[in-house]
Amino acid sequence: MRLTYPHMGEAYIAVKAMFDDLGIESIIPPFSTDSTLRLGAKESPEGICLPFKIMLGNYVKSIEEGADTIVITGSCGPCRFGYYGPLQKLILQDMGYDVDMIIIDPPKEGIAKFINNIRRLSGKTGFKTYKVFMDAYKICEKIDELNQVQYFVRPRTKDKAKVNSIIHNFKSQVLKLKGSREISNMIDKTKEELLSLNIDMDANPIKIGIIGEIYTIIDPFSNLNAEERLGNMGAEIHRSMTIRDWAENNLIKPLRREKPYEMEKRLSKPYLPALIGGHTQQCLGHAVNYALSGYDGLVQIYPMGCMPEIVSRSILPQIEKDYGIPILYLIVDEQTGEAGYQTRLEAFYDYVENRKRRLS
Amino acid sequence: MLILLCYSIDAQQKTVVLVVSKIDPIGIPRQKDWRLVTNPCLKNLFTVNNTSCKEVIFLSVRIGVPRGMYFYKFYPFTKRFLTELGAEVVPSPPTNKEILDLGSRYCIDDACLPVKVYHGHVEHLKDKVDYMLIPRLTSIVPKEYICPKFGGLPEMVKYSIEGLPKLIDVEINMYKSRKNLINALYRVGNMFTKNPYRIKRAADKATREQMIYDNGLLKGELPSKYIDETDMPRSKTSPLIGIATHPYLLYDNFINMNLLKKLSNKGIKFFLPEMLEKKIIEEKCKIFEKRMFWSSGKDLIGSALYMMENSKIDGVLMLTSFACGIDSLSIDLIQRLGRKKSSKPFMVITLDEHTGDANFNTRLEAFLDLIDRRKAN
Repeated sequence: MRLTYPHMGEAYIAVKAMFDDLGIESIIPPFSTDSTLRLGAKESPEGICLPFKIMLGNYVKSIEEGADTIVITGSCGPCRFGYYGPLQKLILQDMGYDVDMIIIDPPKEGIAKFINNIRRLSGKTGFKTYKVFMDAYKICEKIDELNQVQYFVRPRTKDKAKVNSIIHNFKSQVLKLKGSREISNMIDKTKEELLSLNIDMDANPIKIGIIGEIYTIIDPFSNLNAEERLGNMGAEIHRSMTIRDWAENNLIKPLRREKPYEMEKRLSKPYLPALIGGHTQQCLGHAVNYALSGYDGLVQIYPMGCMPEIVSRSILPQIEKDYGIPILYLIVDEQTGEAGYQTRLEAFYDYVENRKRRLS
Repeated sequence: MLILLCYSIDAQQKTVVLVVSKIDPIGIPRQKDWRLVTNPCLKNLFTVNNTSCKEVIFLSVRIGVPRGMYFYKFYPFTKRFLTELGAEVVPSPPTNKEILDLGSRYCIDDACLPVKVYHGHVEHLKDKVDYMLIPRLTSIVPKEYICPKFGGLPEMVKYSIEGLPKLIDVEINMYKSRKNLINALYRVGNMFTKNPYRIKRAADKATREQMIYDNGLLKGELPSKYIDETDMPRSKTSPLIGIATHPYLLYDNFINMNLLKKLSNKGIKFFLPEMLEKKIIEEKCKIFEKRMFWSSGKDLIGSALYMMENSKIDGVLMLTSFACGIDSLSIDLIQRLGRKKSSKPFMVITLDEHTGDANFNTRLEAFLDLIDRRKAN
């Protein structure tokens, strides 16, 4: 069994660590590029959202490298993500690829199926799987810390190219490592490297929060490196959802019988009192949270046609009005052009910066 | 017993104008010189047979129901339920150019066509009613959702259109159990009466009305017969084509370019998803290993697959709206699963606010020609 899984930002680092520790051979698809997207978009339904197309491209590239089993998570929420797996399986069959697909649905959809899937993956259940999983979770936490350092350093140093090269170097070097311990050391090393740069501690850059659909804000390819672009212009950014955040709320908290996403639900309640699916409540909750924590601007990113985010998109103008925080709405799909995107980000950055100067 | 709500006294002519209502309404009349009765004793003891009384105005609350989304699915129930409770139900007129333009002006750009049309209806209706019924239809079948936009509809409307009357945005969420529907009905009913039996009676009557309507549709009637009391002459001859789509596209004659009428004029019979029993739809959807968790998607896929397999139906036409999330998946699933088995003419027409009549006709005629040619061979 040669496993593969689609890309979603830094997720591959933690998943790789987990499979390495479990002793399962896994193939990481090559980093998403335009050709990946083109491959996926060619075979996908026209109106489906961007993540579907990128994921399909990832599968095809992995299968070409010898993978025969695909692992993805599933859901049964009203968002389309829940039906990605079954449709992608059909598409791959029609394309003539004979692959197995393991779709891990949440335990409430049938605990037997869930355990069976985990057993199929790990081979051995019990303590070791749990420990390996927790190690992978720790890697997620470390990646989050690394990202925080990166977001902090980038606007405060003159040598922005160096920051980018350190991060890109890290992302490709990780592929050569094996096991959670080595990866964890590598993250520490990268962090120190970033902190040893020449940082201007007195600088007071504008702060921009990134909200929106989880895949498109986590995956830098799908949002055309929005984080890096904004950082290079001189903004300190913060991303509302991360892999760790997802794992904590969907896997760790249910295990500990805690309620997930409490802060987000509380803050979004005045605007949207019910759960409607996707990450609408999280998007709105984070928007309010950023506004209350003194951020200067927000960027909402979501794929064209994303059903839950369209609802948040129509509510966000009210938050914009209530809290006086400017929001830039960016919709991405396979047609998104780099130049137009960059222009809009720059215009937004200039606007927010001017506004901050005027207000202070 | 009538309840006195407010009155105005003409001192010189010694006459009064009374405003009475059978129920305790939720809206307050807007005329300025009327005085509101606040004393509850006076309210109930008052008798209308007063000699000096010049005029008695009967008042009921007007509740607007926008003609969009699931209007054609549940309107008979809504109307009967609210009327039984004493309200006057005001539906918006059938979609027209003006309403569609209003919708695309007020709604955000990348929403789908039915949501935009719904915004147009709300905007059109907002000044004509005291209350607006925009229910939050999260789930209408246990363990199934409709679509996230149905769940967020009250908020989408609230934050896009200004100057709305008070909204009745009760949540109907039957995901966990059907009991939630009853709670929701009581919540609405409580706005009119504190008497639970009255609410129950209204709900029972409304359910009966809805059953008559559903059975009528099952036999092949069209909603216009029940809702607008106009019926369309229909062709009884073959060919028979199946139209698989959502009710908000199928019965809105403006959005779908009068499709049903055009087909009837050409002497073509049609088969609609509402003519299928739920059982058959469930059975057709069993081909998926994962349960289908959208009721709207299930209806669409189930009916399309049935139409493809049924030998009496000569062709399948699908209508979808641009940027419909569920359809983007469902139509691909239908094509991949159904078309392997059937070689029937199959066409998908995507509608949006820019769809033109000429282009629509050309495609429809090409499709009908294809069916004719197949039948001739």
